[in-house]
Amino acid sequence: MKRTLFIIKLIFILLILALAIFPVILSSHSWPVVSRDYLYENALSDTGAVNTVSSIYLGYRAMDTLGETLVLLVSITGTMGILINLGRENEEEEAVSFSLAPEKRATNAQRTHLLEVVASKLGPVVLLFGFYVMLYGHISPGGGFQGGVIVASAIVFLALGTETQTKLTNTNVLGRIESLSFLVLIIAATSGVFFESGFFGNPIKSGSSLSANFIILLNIIIGLKVGTSIAVMCIAMMGGRRGH
Amino acid sequence: MTILLLFLILALGSFALLSRDLLHSVIALSALSMLSALMFTILKAPDVAITEAAVGAGISTIIFVWAIRHTRRRSKD
Repeated sequence: MKRTLFIIKLIFILLILALAIFPVILSSHSWPVVSRDYLYENALSDTGAVNTVSSIYLGYRAMDTLGETLVLLVSITGTMGILINLGRENEEEEAVSFSLAPEKRATNAQRTHLLEVVASKLGPVVLLFGFYVMLYGHISPGGGFQGGVIVASAIVFLALGTETQTKLTNTNVLGRIESLSFLVLIIAATSGVFFESGFFGNPIKSGSSLSANFIILLNIIIGLKVGTSIAVMCIAMMGGRRGH
Repeated sequence: MTILLLFLILALGSFALLSRDLLHSVIALSALSMLSALMFTILKAPDVAITEAAVGAGISTIIFVWAIRHTRRRSKD
C-alpha cells in the first residue's frame, strides 16, 4: 500500500512537471497546417461526404472503422464464449446467480420499482435519439458508432425496465441483425472496387447529389452492428440469454 | 471553466482510485465521463463528447456494476 502511494505520488509529480514544461516546448513550434488545408480543399470532393469529419472516418480512414468493428466483434465473441461456459459450469450449483432463468432468480434481485419506472419510460426516447444520431451522422456531430452505442443503451434500458419480452430484447434476433449487418458492411466496402474507386471507396460518383447516400448507408450499417452487438453482450450478462 | 472542470475530473479520478468501495468508484467514474463529455463539448469536439457520454456513462457503468455484483470481495475491511 505504501509502495503504491509512493508510485502514485511520483506519477503526480511527473505530470505536474510535464504541465509546466510542455507549453514552453510547444510554443517554439508553429501549428502544422498542411493536412488541414488539404482536407479543407479536397476532402468533400474526394470522398463524396457532406462534412469533413465523416469524410475522414468513412472515407480516408474507413479501414480504421472496419478494424474497430472487427475488434468489437472479436471481443463480443470472446465474452459470449466465457459467459456460455460459465453458465454451463454453474448449472449444478444453483446458488450462484450467473445466468439463471428469470423464474429461478430471487425476486427483486434486478427489478425494483424505481428501475422499472425510470428505465421503461426513458428507453424509447433514448432509442429515438440513437437513431437520430445514427441517421444524421453525415451532416451533424455523431455517426454510426455513437448512435449504435446509444441504441444499445436504449435496448438495455428496455430489457431492464419492461416485464414483457419483445423482439427487440431477444438475443437471437439481435445476433442475427448483427451478423447480417456485418455482411452488408463487407459487401458495401467491396462495392467501390467495381466502380474504380478502390476498397471502401464511394461507388457513387462524387459531385452528384446522391454521393452522400453511401455515407448514410455505412453509418446505418455500422450503427446497427455496434448497437446490436453491445446489446447482446449486456443482455447475456444480465442473464436473459434464453430466447422467448 | 476548463480549469475548474479539469480539477473536478482530477478529484473524481483520485476518489475512484482511492475509494474502498468499488461501487462508489464506478459512480465516480461515471460522473467523470459526464464531466469530460462536457469538456469535449467546450473544446468543440461534439462527436467525441457523444461517444464519451454514451460509452463512459452508459454502457461501461452497466458492465462494471454487473461485474461487481457477480464478484466477491476478498479483504475484510
